[in-house]
Amino acid sequence: MASTVSMTTRTQRSIPSLLPSSSKPRTPASHQSFSSSSHSQFHGLNFSKPASASSAPVPYRSSFKTSIVAKVNKGQVPPNFTLKDQDGKAVSLAKYKGKPVVVYFYPADESPSCTKQACAFRDSYEKFKKAGAEVIGISGDDSSSHKSFAKKYRLPFTLLSDEGNKVRKEWGIPSDLFGALPGRQTYVLDKQGVVQLIYNNQFQPEKHIDETLKLLQSL
Amino acid sequence: MSSLQHHKFLSRSSPGHGFHHHRVIPIRYATSITTITCTLIKDNPNSNQLVSQPQCVSRAPPVIPLTANDPGLKSTWSHRGWVATGCATVLFSLAKAAVGAASVHIWLEPVLAGYMGYILADLGSGVYHWGIDNYGDALTPGFGSQIEAFQGHHKWPWTITRREFANNLHSLARVVAFSVLPVELVCSDPVVLGFVGMFSGCIMFSQQFHAWAHSTKSKLPAAVVALQDAGVLVSRGQHADHHRPPYNNNYCIVSGIWNDLLDRNKVFEVLEMVVYFKLGVKPRSWSDPNSAWTGDEDAEITI
Repeated sequence: MASTVSMTTRTQRSIPSLLPSSSKPRTPASHQSFSSSSHSQFHGLNFSKPASASSAPVPYRSSFKTSIVAKVNKGQVPPNFTLKDQDGKAVSLAKYKGKPVVVYFYPADESPSCTKQACAFRDSYEKFKKAGAEVIGISGDDSSSHKSFAKKYRLPFTLLSDEGNKVRKEWGIPSDLFGALPGRQTYVLDKQGVVQLIYNNQFQPEKHIDETLKLLQSL
Repeated sequence: MSSLQHHKFLSRSSPGHGFHHHRVIPIRYATSITTITCTLIKDNPNSNQLVSQPQCVSRAPPVIPLTANDPGLKSTWSHRGWVATGCATVLFSLAKAAVGAASVHIWLEPVLAGYMGYILADLGSGVYHWGIDNYGDALTPGFGSQIEAFQGHHKWPWTITRREFANNLHSLARVVAFSVLPVELVCSDPVVLGFVGMFSGCIMFSQQFHAWAHSTKSKLPAAVVALQDAGVLVSRGQHADHHRPPYNNNYCIVSGIWNDLLDRNKVFEVLEMVVYFKLGVKPRSWSDPNSAWTGDEDAEITI
């Protein structure tokens, strides 16, 4: 699965928006399960295909195309995105600024682990609301798939359709099984939109809820 | 894009039978039922965006009364012939292994190979069962009749206990006869023949083990119950879990020794995800089973 984003020289100015901002404070990593999102946990074994060759973006090459490796790390503000929800409405991440947000990327609607994860978020949704947080699920499925998935399991939160997995690649979520499976990774953003937790676990989906709630209760 | 189509609703041609414990009102379902399918289309081979365009239409099968002695459950001479051929093939393989082992004075290796055959037959039965339960339908080339039979079995699990011996085993016996005989004719290695003989024998008799796993304890010979309790044959309790929601575990039906390992490590779930992301086909177990697939509780025999 490609992990680079090709950009023309004209959009080079937008490159700095993908780089970590040195003016943003980095908060202590006391609640992060992983120090970096470049590893995925697959039953405790490391089978991830790194989303980027290094943790820093690749510098500009002198060609008509510039390869940029974008990755979201703890302490950074992730790039904004606008995706369609299960009703086909466009939803932007920026809309949620001012409150904590849990953004969880999952492989596919209806798969057993994704269903367990969604239902676990649903069952703990009141706790997330109590913490003032919103929950957003993102996968490559289309809006109609999200709609039936949300309806079938009575999911009270937003599901977004990441067409072509562009946001997944932009955020640098590692895949599993040497690229065969999209990774399962959850981010917790604080009220300022800064990432405070990145949790990756492909086949223990319920743990995503435990870890995110633990952090939210301390924010 | 793969030409595989994922079928959520299945056609069924083998008759299903249900008997209520206190009433003599047998039930038959139509032998040909048409179903249409859901097709997953990958709109761009370079993207992971999958567009599902379900066009599922199903017709509920008409209920037709049947007689208690349905011929579909009886063994025919053709069935018996294939089972005899399959058994002869397996025995020939084992005999040749024994003779070969004696001639070169080795015993441990062929016996171990035979044991590995028994162990791997359980794994093979699980993988095959998983594939048949989750993909394809009655129209799938080569496997259609098997898929149909497995779906019918999920609807009426107790039917397998009513099938006569050769009726139950003849399909696998035929596969064994065709696949194992050439190996026996060209190979003389006692280790290989020991493995092949045990593997094929366990696969062939897996349907009998399966039938025993559906029987009640009181109806089984004591020796079979002992073997089930010892874990040598798949147990009734373990296999019963396969017939309960979410119907995605305990696929192995020889000894069941692999079931816990495969289920605990979500091996089949991983395979399903890989198949989905590589071929765009969802397994049946990801969907709610329709009434044609879930077990018919009302018609279940209570003994």
